Amino acid sequence: MSHVLIKKEWTRDSILAAHEAGGRKRGRAAGGWIDDIAAQKKVITLCPLCTGKFNPGRVNYRKEKEFPFCVAKCDGCSITDPKCSMYIYDELYTQVRSTAEERREWARRQQEGIRRGSL
Amino acid sequence: MKFAYLLSGGSPVIKKYKASAAQAIGTIVLRSAADDPGQFTTSTTGGFGNSLGLCVDNGIASGAPLTYSTTQGADEAVFGIVVNPDAVLRAKMVTGATGTSITADTVATPVSNGLTVVGGTSVASPDMDEGVIWFTSGSNVGKSRKITSTSSVTATVKVPFPYASAVGDTFCYAGVNIGLTGVTTTTDLKNIRADLAVTTGGAATVIDLELGPATDSWVHLVLADQVFTMST
Repeated sequence: MSHVLIKKEWTRDSILAAHEAGGRKRGRAAGGWIDDIAAQKKVITLCPLCTGKFNPGRVNYRKEKEFPFCVAKCDGCSITDPKCSMYIYDELYTQVRSTAEERREWARRQQEGIRRGSL
Repeated sequence: MKFAYLLSGGSPVIKKYKASAAQAIGTIVLRSAADDPGQFTTSTTGGFGNSLGLCVDNGIASGAPLTYSTTQGADEAVFGIVVNPDAVLRAKMVTGATGTSITADTVATPVSNGLTVVGGTSVASPDMDEGVIWFTSGSNVGKSRKITSTSSVTATVKVPFPYASAVGDTFCYAGVNIGLTGVTTTTDLKNIRADLAVTTGGAATVIDLELGPATDSWVHLVLADQVFTMST
């Protein structure tokens, strides 16, 4: 019996993909799967085609707007897309994201403190 | 610890990896070791070697902590990780293993030439040499300098503060500075200890400092031993 050996060219993307969790199981409806992820307060990433079908406010999620896109596997259709939208559970947002607005507010407080003479 | 921005200005890459144990949100995670059950594991207070990125997920299912489980039928502990090697993480500067405010010291002896700051607490043990010192009140409020040497309660700088210090002026100092690699987190792995000597701890490099009051000062970090840089 003979075997044909085919050399696989691993790229950085394919190494990442090989390590990634499987995601939605075959036959599972996307809506139910995303509901389950939302119940666990996990980050949800959706491709441009799926993102319009998700209402983040209904499940207390917040869309990441400072980064309009992220590279991720869509939780709806399981396609890796460089233009996914990222949704973070609202109560957890400030624990994982430091936005320019937050840093701007910090700088404003420092300026006020310097004017007062004490930070 | 929070994801702030990317050095390259691109888009974050979010990967969902399998955990080897219970995982906290906003902490650095590492590549799992051989025979670990999952694909990533928890960092330690002084160990970020072979890091994967920042965990941006909360391990909660239906209000209960979602933990790694080997029970058939249990939820798989999968967490979202920002894996960009150039991700900049913003963490609060604190003191002590459990994370209280950084030391707010007071000038004990006035210095007119601005080349030394003499306070009431030791800056030599732990040694704050090569760290940073900044005033939070007085004539020099908001001004910071690199510490170039220390002795007991005296910190010396080479670029003088613009004004003479006066007894009662308050200042803070920290054992971190731009470009230096090595920081130590608190036991919850979320904040950075400023009370240790510079380059003490895990492989993360300081890229920026936000120097404010003792309760509100921050450090920006880039992971220095990240597996996707292809250098480890």
